[in-house]
Formats: sequence, C-alpha cells, structure tokens
Amino acid sequence: MTQRKRTSNTQSSSQSKRTSGPAATQEEDDDQTFTQPSTTQVQRGLEKLTPAQVDQKTAEVVQFFLVKDQKKIPVRRADLVKHVVKEYRNIYPEIMKRAARIFDQVFGLKMIEIDAKNHMYILINKLETVEGASPITNPTNPKTGLLFVILSVIFMKGGVVGENLIWKTLKNLKVDVGEKHEEFGDVKKVVTDEFVRQRYLEYTRIPHTEPIEHEFHWGQRAEVEVSKSKILAFMGELHEQDPQSWSQQYQEAHSSTQPSTSSQK
Amino acid sequence: MQDEDDNPGIRREIRSKYRELIQSVQQNREDMLSPSNNKLTEVLEEANKLFKDVRQSREAALDAQLLVVTSDLGKEKASQLAAEGAAFDPTAFTEHLLSYMGLNRLNDGEDEQPIGDAIGYLPPDAWHKVAQRAESCFRAAPSFHYMMGSFHAEPPPPKQRMERQRKAPGKEVKRIMPTQLKKMGGSHQEATEKEVERILGYLKTYYQDDPTSPISYYEFVIDPKSFSRTVENIFHMSFLIRDGLARMYYDNYKLPCIAPVEEGEVEAGGSSIRKQCIVSISPKQWKELIEGYDIRVTMIDPSNMQPE
Repeated sequence: MTQRKRTSNTQSSSQSKRTSGPAATQEEDDDQTFTQPSTTQVQRGLEKLTPAQVDQKTAEVVQFFLVKDQKKIPVRRADLVKHVVKEYRNIYPEIMKRAARIFDQVFGLKMIEIDAKNHMYILINKLETVEGASPITNPTNPKTGLLFVILSVIFMKGGVVGENLIWKTLKNLKVDVGEKHEEFGDVKKVVTDEFVRQRYLEYTRIPHTEPIEHEFHWGQRAEVEVSKSKILAFMGELHEQDPQSWSQQYQEAHSSTQPSTSSQK
Repeated sequence: MQDEDDNPGIRREIRSKYRELIQSVQQNREDMLSPSNNKLTEVLEEANKLFKDVRQSREAALDAQLLVVTSDLGKEKASQLAAEGAAFDPTAFTEHLLSYMGLNRLNDGEDEQPIGDAIGYLPPDAWHKVAQRAESCFRAAPSFHYMMGSFHAEPPPPKQRMERQRKAPGKEVKRIMPTQLKKMGGSHQEATEKEVERILGYLKTYYQDDPTSPISYYEFVIDPKSFSRTVENIFHMSFLIRDGLARMYYDNYKLPCIAPVEEGEVEAGGSSIRKQCIVSISPKQWKELIEGYDIRVTMIDPSNMQPE
C-alpha cells in the first residue's frame, strides 16, 4: 500500500479511547501491512459498494466480536481485518463506526479499544448491573469470585502487589496454588494465564529478584470494567467499616478518571 | 598497607562477605521488607564497613551489585508505607470473607484455632456466593451464546492418517530401509522423542564435563561414519532448540555452538527473542566439515534401535 503518512485527524473515529497517532509503519508492523485508510479513501470505497454489502460486512464484524467475547479474550484488529473485513479493508473505519453503533443501540454494549498501540478491543456493558433487576439469573461463574478477591487485594494495597501476598491470601481461603482445586483446577494457570490473557490482570517480573518473583497489577480490561467504588463498598460491608475510612482508596475510587461515575457518557 | 591491598586471602574474604550479604538480602526478601525490623539498614551498615577495605574492581563490582539489590528492596519498602487512612490487612479480609462464604467452623471447644486446614470446611456453593456479589462490581458484557447451541462438529479423522503424516519428515533419512519403517508404524513418534531425549542427555553430559568450553554445533551433530545419521542428529537437535531445551549461539569465531538451557533460564513462551532458520547439509558439505573440524569420532553414539 503506497500511502502518504497522515495524522489521524482525517480518520472518523468513534471509539472512545483511540489516541491520535501516525497512520504509518507502526501499524504495518503490527497489522500485517494494514494501514488506516483516509476519509477520502473510505468515501470512494463506499461508493463502489451497495448498502446491503456494507451492512452484511458490519453484521459479520458484530458476530465475530460477540463470539470472541465468550472467552473474554480481546479482539485484535489484525485478526479482524484478516478473517472478517478482508477485501473491505479500505472502508474499515466506516465498518467499525457502524459496528460500534450497533453494539451501542441494539445490545447496550460499548466497544472499547483497551490497547491503542496494539489495537485490541473488548466489549463491556453500557449499563450498570442492578441487583434483582432481571428475572433470569445466569449461573454465576465461580472464577469471578476468585478474580474479585485478587482485584480487591490489589486495589486496597495501592495498585500493585507481590505475587506471594496473593498466593498467601488465596491459601487462607483454601485455594492452594500448589494443589489442584476442586472448582478452579490449576489455580496458577487460571490466575497468571487466563486472567492475564483476558486482560483482567497484569503479571510482570520484578527485576533483580532471585529466584524470580512477579507482581500483579489491574489489567486494562479491569480498569474499564470493574468499579472500584463498588469494591470499596463491599469491603465496607465485610469489615463493618465506613468505606471512607480507607481515605486513599476512597479518593481513588471516586476520582474523575473512573469509568463508572455518572459524569462520563 | 601494601600487603593488605594485595593479600589474596583478605581479598577473597571481602568478596565472600559481600556474596553472603547479597544472598541474605535475596533469600530473606519478605523479612527485609517487613516494617517491623531494621534488617535492611543493618545490611547497608555492614556493607559500609566492608567497603572501607575494598581495593580492587572485583570487590567494587560486588558492592555495586549489593547496592542494586538493596535499593530495589528499599524502593519496595517505601511504596509499602501506608500514608493516611485505615490500614488494609489481608488476613482480616480473608477472615471476614470466609464468614461471608458460610464457613462451617469446627467448634471443638478448643481455644486455639490455627489458620489452615483445621479451621473448618466451606460449603460447596461458597465461591458462587462470592461470585454473585462480585458480579455487580463488574460491567461485563453478557456472554453471547446461540440458543440452540453450536453445530455438531465432525469427529476428528481416524488416527492412522495422523501417523502417516508424521512419517514424512523422516522419510528422506530412512530411505535405505523402507520395509522396516512400515513395521514400526505408530511407535515412530515415540522413537523420535526417545532419540531427542537421548541426545539431550549427551549434550548435558558434555556440557557438565566442562561448562566453560563451548560445544561446536557441527562437531556435536556430525557422525563421520554416516551421513544419514548426521542428518538425523540435526533433525533431533532442532526439536531441542524448538522446545527451549537447548540454545544455539555464535562463539568468538562466529561459529555456531550449542549448550543446554538451565531450568528457569527461559520462561515458557516468554519474551526471549526467537529466531527461526533452516539448516541444510549435503554430502559434500558433510565431508568438508569432517575435514575442517577433523572429526574422527561421533559425539553421539548411534542408538541400537536403528537398524543398519
């Protein structure tokens, strides 16, 4: 694709977190020679296709996302272009814009780019969960409980925690990393592999440690999907304490950067 | 004064004390991090004393290493300082959570209840209970599933086909004896795995005999008596490299060398740089290498499984 490098203010972007960057070689490296088409290119591309064709392609993208979301693994733009969009890649931004609208209006979901560098997307719910609102109660996944415990500890401890503290905490809850657990199986794999791939957690090496030790952070998905204020509220219930007594955590949970505050769309 | 500076005994002592300090910091990490003691400061004071006697660069290097390790720890310790607000105690948290989950405590009337298995048992839906409460903290998209389930997939192709495909890579090498191969049938894959392990054994033995001396790749794989065995050795060697059990590198003369990988040296699927290459060898090159390296005897004994 011979294309002049352009800054992305010419691209129509509906995703909330797309950072403006050059549509150039960085993406080529990541996306197998996919470079973001300009608005004029998109226009020309649209003229050559029927509305039905564009709708069909959009529907395929939506379906791809929904199925990928079953395992909560983020969708890579490269995969999307390679397997679904294919020859329609010249109108890629338009397709994504329409897909985002469908998610928003039909499904009540938000399509978010959690990694602007590697172009990875996830779906989250637009609406807050209200307890007891639905007569249908989906079977709960116990892994959510496990993840919740880990995220809570990380948050209450200021955002980063050494892995030994997590293993110790889980052990107190009768989840022994060294043994196969009845509900969770290979706990270490679930925590350091599955949750990390889903972007709920980040598991990174601590430099200069011998033997090698790691630490946990909240992952990119957790940052947009999980409500810190609700975690803090639950902490308050459990400890029979006022959530405000943890002043630092309270401040962070209610800061304007949090996605769940009503000031955000 | 001069004697002290050069006395190798004293130099050694200083280096060994440094190493002790470094080890004690690394192995007692949690202890050092605990805000309840001053062990880290003590280590630094000890290091300060030692440093007065440092004269040579080897000792200074160890001092620098100790500094790196202790400052990492110092950074972590600092970040653990709770500023304002109530402290968060993970142990108290788990206690409360266990009660929430409906822990049935064993009340034997004993006063001491140690944390651990003796404390009681959790009901089967314990984690579901937590999950239910936790779900409201997530704004996860509900998972999409087809109402009628997905289509019924075809059963996988029968096993024979898979085995026949695996024979292909070895075919060129074993062309001399095709009839015997057909009899081996399904155990071909096992034979390869065994051979790969055997070769790993050789590699480790040679390496352990002299860890400082690099093992030349060509000297290792070439069997001067048999070209076909040489190719097999190359083939099996590639498995070891693919699986991260051995690594290949260039020595000072830009010749390829191999060494086994220590456990823990490479993280599985980790960030280490992976390169792919294709190795080929012709009978002519094989002869040239034998001459060039003066290879008289094979480093890998032919296994007695191979019919000759």
